[in-house]
Amino acid sequence: MTRALELAERAVAAAEGDAVEAVVQAERSGFARFAGSEVHQPTLIENESVFIRVIRGQRAGEAAGNRVDEEGLRGLAARAEEAADASPDDPDLPTPAGASQLPEVAGNDPETAALGPDDQARLAANAIAAAGDIPVYGFFTSGVATVAVVTSMGFSAEQTSTDATALTLAATDSASGYAEQTAWAVRDIDPAAVASEAAEIARRTANADELAPGSYRAVLGPYAIGELLQYFAFDTFSGLALLEERSYLSGKLGERHFDEKVSIADDALDPRGLPKSFDFEGVPKQRVPLVENGVLRGAVWDLSSAARAGDLQRSTGHASPPALRRWGPLPFALSLAGGEAESVDELVELVGDGIYITRLHYLGIVEPRQGILTGMTRDGTFRIRDGKLAEPLVNLRFTVAVPDVLADVPGLTRQTTLANEAAFYDERFAYGALVPAIATGRFDVTGLGGPPGV
Amino acid sequence: MRALCEEAVAAALAAGASYADARAIVRRSQLISTKNRRVDQVDDLESEGIGVRVLVDGAWGFACDRRLDQAGSRAAADRATTFAKAAPGAHDRALAPVEPVEGEYRTPREQDPIDVPLGDKIALCFAAEEAMQNGDIKVTTAFVRAMRERKVLVSSEGSAIEQDFVECGGGIDAMASDGEISQLRSYPSAHEGSSAGAGWEYVLGLGLEREAPRVAEQAAALLRAPVCPPATTTAVIDAEQMVLQVHESTGHPTELDRIYGTEAAYAGTSFIGPGDLGSLRYGSEWMNITADPTTPRGVGTFGYDDEGVPAERTPIVEAGILRGFLTSRETAAKIGSGRGGSMRADGWSRMPLVRMTNLHLEPGEGTLEDLLADVDDGIYFETNKSWSIDDKRLNFQFGTQVAWEIKQGKLGRLLRDATYTGVTPVFWGSLDAVAGPESWVLYGLTNCGKGQPGQHAHVSHGAAPARFRNVQVGVAPS
Repeated sequence: MTRALELAERAVAAAEGDAVEAVVQAERSGFARFAGSEVHQPTLIENESVFIRVIRGQRAGEAAGNRVDEEGLRGLAARAEEAADASPDDPDLPTPAGASQLPEVAGNDPETAALGPDDQARLAANAIAAAGDIPVYGFFTSGVATVAVVTSMGFSAEQTSTDATALTLAATDSASGYAEQTAWAVRDIDPAAVASEAAEIARRTANADELAPGSYRAVLGPYAIGELLQYFAFDTFSGLALLEERSYLSGKLGERHFDEKVSIADDALDPRGLPKSFDFEGVPKQRVPLVENGVLRGAVWDLSSAARAGDLQRSTGHASPPALRRWGPLPFALSLAGGEAESVDELVELVGDGIYITRLHYLGIVEPRQGILTGMTRDGTFRIRDGKLAEPLVNLRFTVAVPDVLADVPGLTRQTTLANEAAFYDERFAYGALVPAIATGRFDVTGLGGPPGV
Repeated sequence: MRALCEEAVAAALAAGASYADARAIVRRSQLISTKNRRVDQVDDLESEGIGVRVLVDGAWGFACDRRLDQAGSRAAADRATTFAKAAPGAHDRALAPVEPVEGEYRTPREQDPIDVPLGDKIALCFAAEEAMQNGDIKVTTAFVRAMRERKVLVSSEGSAIEQDFVECGGGIDAMASDGEISQLRSYPSAHEGSSAGAGWEYVLGLGLEREAPRVAEQAAALLRAPVCPPATTTAVIDAEQMVLQVHESTGHPTELDRIYGTEAAYAGTSFIGPGDLGSLRYGSEWMNITADPTTPRGVGTFGYDDEGVPAERTPIVEAGILRGFLTSRETAAKIGSGRGGSMRADGWSRMPLVRMTNLHLEPGEGTLEDLLADVDDGIYFETNKSWSIDDKRLNFQFGTQVAWEIKQGKLGRLLRDATYTGVTPVFWGSLDAVAGPESWVLYGLTNCGKGQPGQHAHVSHGAAPARFRNVQVGVAPS
């Protein structure tokens, strides 16, 4: 038994209740963050946190902390017990997960786990050196995170996951390009290649033109469609949002609303992503079809939302980390199926006349029920003319109904890319979206920002 | 805690650091929320640890450890020094001088919010929820939060500072749905309510139960309201939405680290250059913005920032001209002006960054009714719903939960899904009135994100309703 699992067992033992659930998150990570081609904010984090949920009758209380000696655990348990005692009965309170058969997944790479500050600084240096004369901004990070879940109902398991990300903005005063790579094994990350890709894009973005607002055909590269899909998914594919009638799916399940080329799943078992075996309540992960050939199929659930839904709805294994539990079940392993296009160039040719978007910035959910989002493009926006990439464009303000973007899809690339979606707030929880590049018949530009560059 | 910080600083110096500071923090926070008259969350979090920041040959290093003991402080110091030494290339970094200080600060409070029994907090939420029930309301939510934090900072330059903070806040949401559309209404703010650096008396003063019926009625009424039409018109914006307008379009762009590019890959940069200080016309003569970490009840209020710089009020924009930046000791030294004072870290496990403290739109004169009276045709916007701004903080688009037509100086029809958009200096240049001190409200936000790894900051903003001419409203997919 490792330290995290042993700690979770001790936490359950420290609490008194009809049922107890403990989640331990242990993290060791390093961020070599750079700006202007200099490492300027290097951060090393080591932490262990314990979350306890105590159920007494139909009452539940939660507490979390990072003092893990006996006195600390007992104090933590006492606070959870006090919270349970202070709460009124909840008739839909779910029983914590019991023992179950867990899927075996990849996602733990010893080489990645062994990376130390010297390695992280070296890999950041590789990115800096590869960009040549264009200053670069970004980071190399790697981490090892262990999640252990133990319940008094018989579930006891832990999973150690590794992750690594190289992310680079290459930029001058008037030009900028962006690239990133994320994987659970550092051998699949090449910071120099990331920086070279970003610099290559940047070199094509000087002297950007403006574009009249309006509706355009467009190609969204993987970083752009990954972020757009993730923001759309937070409300759309959450079982809680469906119950609360703030999801685009409300009243539409089983209906075809997207192009038949569009199939979306949440699949934490896919070794091409950042695999997970079970969720933060101890429920096994499973592949959940969300959209199949354009037909809206379903959402993701945790124990609490499934209990409220009734009708034999079961958790799909999508309980969020304790710090995010308030927001209900969330899809953190989105996967948009690839298409038949052999290259992005082929998508550009399909679009013919339109725009190409490398990356999005600061998305906002304007109207969740209709799936309307706004945001900006940045670091590589181009005009498409005569089926080819043409002149660079200034940053564009867009306001789109994502269902409209997905309703007319001329094509998707066969190849998919794992786009990093984590900003690494709170305890480390790396996640990403596995996506191809996508062509759409409709992308609404509603304003103009500044030119590329910093 | 002070002894552990001193030990960490000594260990870092012994390992080769030319400068070191250590922050030890013990934080306890609670979040209690109820939804549809059931307890949704009763969460009680306690976190403690030490963060050590060092300079070695001009390169920064930062490391942290959850153990508040001798082993933890030494380990953090050693790892921070190792990481700084590993930074590739040559580094040249200076810090603006600050007088070493032995100081203390304590948030004024009548009742420590953590000490209020959980049962009382749940009862308060239930009472507010009960008052929101009506036929069109699908989801009601009420929530309160409380925080207590003890922080000790020791630097190798001789500063030793102990600060004792409390915060608390709360809010309510009502979501109406008719099966086709859904509409949300919140009070006092859409961003997890509003918080203050104060005791529990602040939460009681919010009057959540008192405001609940109005919030629910407006959410229901929005189901039957028309969508805000597209137009270029006069916009009158309430204090709550002005808070976010100030935050996004004047707070972040005046952070000097962004201006120097250190956030370029994530949060972005700024349309402002270091040389714009004192000359850039940011907005009209009615625009006065002040950074003030001494504001009573601010969640960005402190005695000293996380570099030990004493809190002081700083003009950022005066009569529309850029007069100041939010700075650290490093960026102040780089620009050759000021001494820092805006460095803040999200707990013990993150490196301090330049952050907003409390940033205010100073009041003008008159009332909201006075602002409306001078509008023949326009839109009145209230309570933020959506927000987005570009990486240079120029092009923004905001949506509000509710809006009303303004006709001949009076509020007319209720409107839903209202948005407005603009370009920062053009928009602020169209400001022609800010309501007076009686209409000025202080809001505390707890969700300002920045940095990699990500950090949340708690910042307060005061604002009064304001009026802007020639604003593009009603943005929607074509």
